[in-house]
Amino acid sequence: MSREAISILPILVIFMPWVSLIGAAVFGKRKPAAARAVYVGGTAATLLLIVPMFPRALEGLVIRKHLAGSGPGISLALRVDTMGFYFALLLAVMWLLAVIYSLGYIHGRQTRYYCFLALNFSFCLGVAFSANMFTLFVFYELMSLFTYPLIIHDETEVARKAGFKYLAYSIPAGAVLLAGVILQFFYGDTLAFLGRSTIHLSQVGKPILLVIFSIYMLGFGVKACIMPLHGWVPDAHPAAPAPASALLSGVILKVGIFGIVRVVYDVYGVELLEALGVSLWMLIVAGITIITASLFAMSQDDLKRRLAYSSVAQVSYIVLGLFLLSPAGAVGGLLHIAHHAFMKGTLFLCSGVIMHETGKRNISEMEGIGKKLPLTMGAFTVASLGMIGIPLTAGFITKWELGVGALQAHRPYFIAVLLISSLLNAVYFLPIVYAAFFKGDSKQAGFPRNETSKKMLVPVLAAGAFVIILGVFVTVPGLPYSLVKVVVGSVF
Amino acid sequence: MNASFNHPVLIVVVPLLFAALCPIIGLIRRSLVVWLALFGTACTSFLALSLIGRVTPGNDLSYHLGGWEPPWGIEIRIDTFGLLMVCVISTLGILLVLYSWKYMERELPANRLSYYYTLLMLIYTAMLGFSITGDIFNMFVFMEIFAITSYALVAVTGEKRALRAAFKYLLMGATSSVCVLLAITFLYSVTGSLNMLDISNTLAELSPDYIRVALAALVFFITGFSVKAALFPVHVWLPEAHSIAPSPVSALLSALVIKMGVFGIFRILFTVYGPGFANETANWKSLNEVVAWAAALSILAGAAFAIAQKDLKLMIAYSSISHIGYIVLGICLLSYHGTAGGFYNVLAHAMGKASFFLVAGCFLYKKGFRRIEDLKGLGRSMPISSGAFALASLSVIGLPPSAGFIAKWNILWGCLDSRKYLFAGVVLLGSVLAAVYCLKVVYYLFFTGPRMRDTRIEEAPAAMYVPAALLSLGTLFFGIFSGLILPSLNSASRILMIR
Amino acid sequence: MNWSRIFQNLNYAVSLLLFLMGLYTLAMKPNLIKKIMGLNILETSVFLFIVSIGMVDSGQAPVMAHGAAQQVVVNPIPQALILTGIVVAVSTTAVSLSLCIRIHQKYGSLDACEILGREVA
Repeated sequence: MSREAISILPILVIFMPWVSLIGAAVFGKRKPAAARAVYVGGTAATLLLIVPMFPRALEGLVIRKHLAGSGPGISLALRVDTMGFYFALLLAVMWLLAVIYSLGYIHGRQTRYYCFLALNFSFCLGVAFSANMFTLFVFYELMSLFTYPLIIHDETEVARKAGFKYLAYSIPAGAVLLAGVILQFFYGDTLAFLGRSTIHLSQVGKPILLVIFSIYMLGFGVKACIMPLHGWVPDAHPAAPAPASALLSGVILKVGIFGIVRVVYDVYGVELLEALGVSLWMLIVAGITIITASLFAMSQDDLKRRLAYSSVAQVSYIVLGLFLLSPAGAVGGLLHIAHHAFMKGTLFLCSGVIMHETGKRNISEMEGIGKKLPLTMGAFTVASLGMIGIPLTAGFITKWELGVGALQAHRPYFIAVLLISSLLNAVYFLPIVYAAFFKGDSKQAGFPRNETSKKMLVPVLAAGAFVIILGVFVTVPGLPYSLVKVVVGSVF
Repeated sequence: MNASFNHPVLIVVVPLLFAALCPIIGLIRRSLVVWLALFGTACTSFLALSLIGRVTPGNDLSYHLGGWEPPWGIEIRIDTFGLLMVCVISTLGILLVLYSWKYMERELPANRLSYYYTLLMLIYTAMLGFSITGDIFNMFVFMEIFAITSYALVAVTGEKRALRAAFKYLLMGATSSVCVLLAITFLYSVTGSLNMLDISNTLAELSPDYIRVALAALVFFITGFSVKAALFPVHVWLPEAHSIAPSPVSALLSALVIKMGVFGIFRILFTVYGPGFANETANWKSLNEVVAWAAALSILAGAAFAIAQKDLKLMIAYSSISHIGYIVLGICLLSYHGTAGGFYNVLAHAMGKASFFLVAGCFLYKKGFRRIEDLKGLGRSMPISSGAFALASLSVIGLPPSAGFIAKWNILWGCLDSRKYLFAGVVLLGSVLAAVYCLKVVYYLFFTGPRMRDTRIEEAPAAMYVPAALLSLGTLFFGIFSGLILPSLNSASRILMIR
Repeated sequence: MNWSRIFQNLNYAVSLLLFLMGLYTLAMKPNLIKKIMGLNILETSVFLFIVSIGMVDSGQAPVMAHGAAQQVVVNPIPQALILTGIVVAVSTTAVSLSLCIRIHQKYGSLDACEILGREVA
């Protein structure tokens, strides 16, 4: 088997979600049942198309496809490497859960919602399969723009404000990112991702490398919500409908992280970053983000707002792992992309169930809610434990690897950050669980035992199950660990 | 060259012929005129597109009018840039005539419709001639034809404010034409020729006594064409003229006519004078720098004014000033990437801005709305027009994967190439500002107003939304398949810089 | 000041004077008709300039009869240029005057300040 193969499969994967889009446009209002089938079918078919690329991805091989191009740097090309495959697989699973959940959750403006859901799916897959920074930027910007309709879906005043804030952060970030891409192309060899450093200290000089690096961190940092660029997150997440928040937090924030991963491994490379000495700064920023965001999360009464701040903190775990620049740290960081997606996905989907069934958003009103929604709150509990990092959950694996990574990198004090963060996680998640199950009058009239509809319950439970599966069957091929090992093995 | 190959001159003659035919046919049957105009533009477009294979970078197509050898006779000289202009003008021409069919029926009394199409054909003739001529005085004549025609087109409805706008436009336009004529005279007095290539050769070895006159001529040229292009300090005529004119005319003026000013600047700076002109490279370069600064200011000022506007068409008009800035900045960066990017923006902006104005026209036609705030929820009742607007705004902002993005990418690349980092910042800031004014409209169209089920679809006639939608799709097409045009623009610009 | 030099190039000096006059009238006079007159003066100044550069001392009119003796003639091209230029100028004037008529019909005034003032009407 050659190292590189050319296949049309990546294109098919990227355009498969458009089936849902067309379905929404054609059947949208006239045949709701058919439209629903197409939404789920299109997403599932995408997942099925991604799976055949698995064997190559596991061996670290690459699939390529050139699309169009002209002029200097302008080249649209796709490339599926292990990292891209891992991310795409995660995207597809999360999207499938979210779409099924949406069938039960979304009641108004369905056509628009599913159209933009499908478009975002397509563009996120495009980011995952980009062969060069130009393509990545193209899909990234599209994704950035088309997330807006999901955030303001409810068209309430709050949602509009959140949407405005989102754009106010994203559009300048896009311009900054464009500057980064073009500077990289101007000073580096190529925009292509080759799995190695493509910009050289000897040719360019340290100041410019630092400038380009900071520009990239600013550009991607807005999506990856590194403080102080996180401002839009706590507003956008609560405003969006629950499945969209789950996607926002679970994967769309990770698209920013994915960009940083590319910058770290395919633009700069580990040695160059060590030589530049920027990793410590990024570690400090990530550490501050983790602690501060957790503290912010504690003071929120709105459940989704608390979850949003928690996301800000958790995404910085990934940044932390990446910039430890040690193998175990990288494994921990990259694993957390998937682990956090499932944990936070579960939590957001649960919050959606709570809102949908009881209309409650505030944590202080949720006493005794576990008696009404035992399964949902069970999943919530599992995910909360995962967040804290209890063994046998996905969160524990991440924290363990990150801890080992910190030791490998000879920066043991970052273990303290992890421990403090776990503690804070416990402080802001466990009271919710406690209140839900052990507080409140069990005979309260408002809370008869009444689980939500299957369409919403199944994704919640599935996501919750993943939190445990990923924590127990860590090394099964196909689960994140096996793929991340290949990625990290090729870098270090 | 095959002697029977007369396409270059036919590009000018055919629309002129149809311009003359229009009022005559109009006397016989009024309803035929629009079909005649459509046929005429289609023929022109066919002629223009048929030249695509024949012009390659560095290998211009030269045609001697009446068989007179240049520099005595008038030469038609089509290079890659001219070809791009010709193709854009003639293709956009078809769509604008098609759009005018329904739109102008309402704006004009039936007996004056045929004159409108005459003016339309005449302005195409002039712009096509302007783009391909190799003779500097011939260029002036064509410039005057399209200028006078465009004054008339602005005032064509006879509406009060339109008349005033047209008069303002006329005064500034005519003064700028005098500047250009004066510059031609200066140049003729030192070179004794009117043929561009001939002048260029003479200028390369100009005796030091005449350098000052040549430089003065250059300054007058730039001043004159800047007014036509509506660069920042002399843009004052544009917003009113472009926003008050009937929508297809606005689209024509914004998408094509102001590009002629830019093309004039380009022709003078590069084809006639050129980098090596008589060892005066330093002066030539500093003049380029000055124009680039004016362009950079245009980008920011145009975008800032556009944000402040409440009237949709006025906003689009100010946005044109900003985009003209991009084009001129790209050309004046003295990097071939920049030049290629600038000309790519000619294409991108022609499609994007024409689509904007046509959509604004659809709203006016169907609902009578001009103010941005009135557009609430129109995305639901007029989905195709609004969708076209949203798609075109990608290109106007310069978001990928639209043609505007490719242009911006190349202009940015040119900025880096010539180490002008400040201009790169201006380009990026300009696109952020563009996002503000474009997305504001998209927001009103799609995310406000009544719910879907409460609205009925009331789309404008197909003859109006189809051109707008096609132009929007064009921005997307040329964004993804930039390989069709960009490589030849790149190599043509490179040749230009070496010369 | 070298008066004799200016006197020798009187047509250039007059052309400059006309140019400035025209520009002043165009920019400063509020009356639209006067603006058009200013425009015409401006154009005339350029025409004068063009003819002047084609002038050859003691040159004849450039009418070449077949077999005629070699003689000094003035440059015919500038003269051809102004002919075209005059046509262009006349058409510009025609368009502007017709616009003036329409403006007068609609606004009842030809004063630029008044017309601008009635924007909202």
